[in-house]
Amino acid sequence: MLLLLPLAIPVLGAGLILLFHNPRAATRLALLLGGVEIAALGAVVWQVHAHGELQQGRYLRADGLSAFFLMGIAIVSGLVLIYASGYLRHMGEGRFSSPRWFYALVFLFLFTMISVCLSANLGLMWIMMEGTTLASALLVGFYNTEGAVEAGWKYLIVCTVGIAFALFGTIVLYLAAVKAGMNPGSALDWVSLMNAAPRIGLEPHLVRLAFVFVIVGYGTKIGFVPMHSWLPDAHAEAPTPISALLSAVLLNCAMYALMRYDAIVSRSVGAAFPHILLLIFGVMSMVVAGLLILVQQNLKRLMAYSSIEHMGIIAIGLGLGGPLGLFGALLHTFNHSVAKSLLFFSAGNIRHNMGTLRMDGIQGMSRTMPQTTAALLVGGLAIVGLPPFSLFISEFAILSEAFAQARYLVVIVFLVVLSVVFGGFAYHYFRMLCGEPDRHPENSKLIPSEYIAMGMAALCVLFFGVRIPYVFGRLLQEAMAVLR
Amino acid sequence: MGLVGIATEKILSSFSVFLFLTILLLAVARRISTSVLLFGLQSAIIAAEVFATAFQEKLPEAYIVGALVFAIKVVAIPRAFFLLVKRLKTVRDVKASTTPTQSVFIAAAIIYLSYAAVHSYGGAVHVPDDPLAAAIALILTGAFLMVSRKKALMQMLGLLVLENGIFLAALITTFGMPLVIEIGIFFDILMGLLLMGIFTFRISDTFEHLDVSKLRKLRG
Repeated sequence: MLLLLPLAIPVLGAGLILLFHNPRAATRLALLLGGVEIAALGAVVWQVHAHGELQQGRYLRADGLSAFFLMGIAIVSGLVLIYASGYLRHMGEGRFSSPRWFYALVFLFLFTMISVCLSANLGLMWIMMEGTTLASALLVGFYNTEGAVEAGWKYLIVCTVGIAFALFGTIVLYLAAVKAGMNPGSALDWVSLMNAAPRIGLEPHLVRLAFVFVIVGYGTKIGFVPMHSWLPDAHAEAPTPISALLSAVLLNCAMYALMRYDAIVSRSVGAAFPHILLLIFGVMSMVVAGLLILVQQNLKRLMAYSSIEHMGIIAIGLGLGGPLGLFGALLHTFNHSVAKSLLFFSAGNIRHNMGTLRMDGIQGMSRTMPQTTAALLVGGLAIVGLPPFSLFISEFAILSEAFAQARYLVVIVFLVVLSVVFGGFAYHYFRMLCGEPDRHPENSKLIPSEYIAMGMAALCVLFFGVRIPYVFGRLLQEAMAVLR
Repeated sequence: MGLVGIATEKILSSFSVFLFLTILLLAVARRISTSVLLFGLQSAIIAAEVFATAFQEKLPEAYIVGALVFAIKVVAIPRAFFLLVKRLKTVRDVKASTTPTQSVFIAAAIIYLSYAAVHSYGGAVHVPDDPLAAAIALILTGAFLMVSRKKALMQMLGLLVLENGIFLAALITTFGMPLVIEIGIFFDILMGLLLMGIFTFRISDTFEHLDVSKLRKLRG
């Protein structure tokens, strides 16, 4: 029953919110429902931690890995809901662009992402993954401007086609499992597949073919280069809380799906093949995104390319494997999502106060908007991987694994890209923060919802850089145990 | 044997040829409504194939899948498309970026390529070459339609053709996925089309055209 709760709350909540026409009432209800939802997710995570995996019927299941990602979803969605409650105060009552539609779609979006993490069945996982695209496409196009409609259309088409390839990969894996003698009814169950993995390995061609399609398919949603074309547009044109959700939760969910497939394929045909593919996509994403960061004009597009770069880092961690690589990759999914939310929140404030996100149109921000500048600086220092922030720990773990395996090419690319990204961020920040302010926003002070969300995110990146809390560390270990 | 048995055998032995025919016709179709009709025809062939498989392999679940294919892809989707074409008052041309001759050659190349791909993998799967080649050719044709036709509606149609190919591949290699999963996938397709329909309205509202090749404000 416990597993049905976090799925039922957002669906029923979305319906309930639509009944509230008053924006204030809708916002309060959304915050309340968000709190209940986080409590439900917390209960699931705690049960998994205390008593091991949970199973509900044939299609729902939560183990250590799901619990780890559910925790991330709970934390980030909590921050996003708090931030959104203040962000939406400027929004008027359009036909579909009112706060109640916004929150209803957000809860549907959350529902699909949570069900990806709770699926016991690879087919159901695919259905829900496609569901994330559908639920968020309207949110990407929410403002209904030319840019938003274009970004929404592109997002819908590119991701639907991409994920169709993942469906094909799933079918090929299913074929391999059925041919290996598995019962067709259970040949999409992740646990049964893991148990039967050595037998499935008797069809190595099919398993490899399946993984190629799956990595291209889910890689489209992760934003691997060269399938990333939707990502910067969607992130830049969506309302800021949605950009944070896309970057911090959606990409992680797609990465989670890929991890599940990687575990099966590694066990059945050996880790060499899937891991080299992950390394190739990871390095490509890092290099291309790292270079594109230098030439960006729009702050949110800069953040979007940085997300692609970090997804590349996570893929490299997974591709290296080993205890440290896996540890780093999982930790990095969490660290990146918190730091990136903080950066998107800051970008949202800048847009409100300056009326633009073009970085060449902003000068002397440190004098006119000191609080936002502080948040932007903390987020920026964290995202380029400087100590004492949390991303340093995870990047360092991945790097040490690369050294331990003597993969010097990966090490060199990794370090060069990190320095290029550092240079890029420093250059953009200098232009925005320093100099004579050319305009003075009237009211640049943060309102409570903003400083609560941003403060919590900033504390989190700082705290996790100093020490990893015991319970979090245990959850991380349990997640790693599932994948080995 | 009986009549049904004979019909089943005929369908199973000859449906790939008809699918190749729809691929070639789709390549030359110049009107959106023609393409929609061809898609409906293609889905009807696939629905017949599902029923034939259900009969031959005695799979009661597959009858439900066949009925779903028929109801959604042969009846509902083409009707929705005709409604969209009417309501959007768009030009009826597909706005191809290749001439019909080029398109036919590309479609022929796609069919040839599919056979080549099947030859290298066919041994591992133990299914006859023709249906599998037809499935792969449908996937590639869908992708080709999406990149070469500029109308938003044609991109949706290309996606559907691509999805038909994936569905056919699942059907002939594994007799389809478990029923619950199939229903979920159908639901996703329907919702996806609904959303794309909404977006086509928004595109025509905000841009006053439906030519997606002109959507290029966001770059780099």
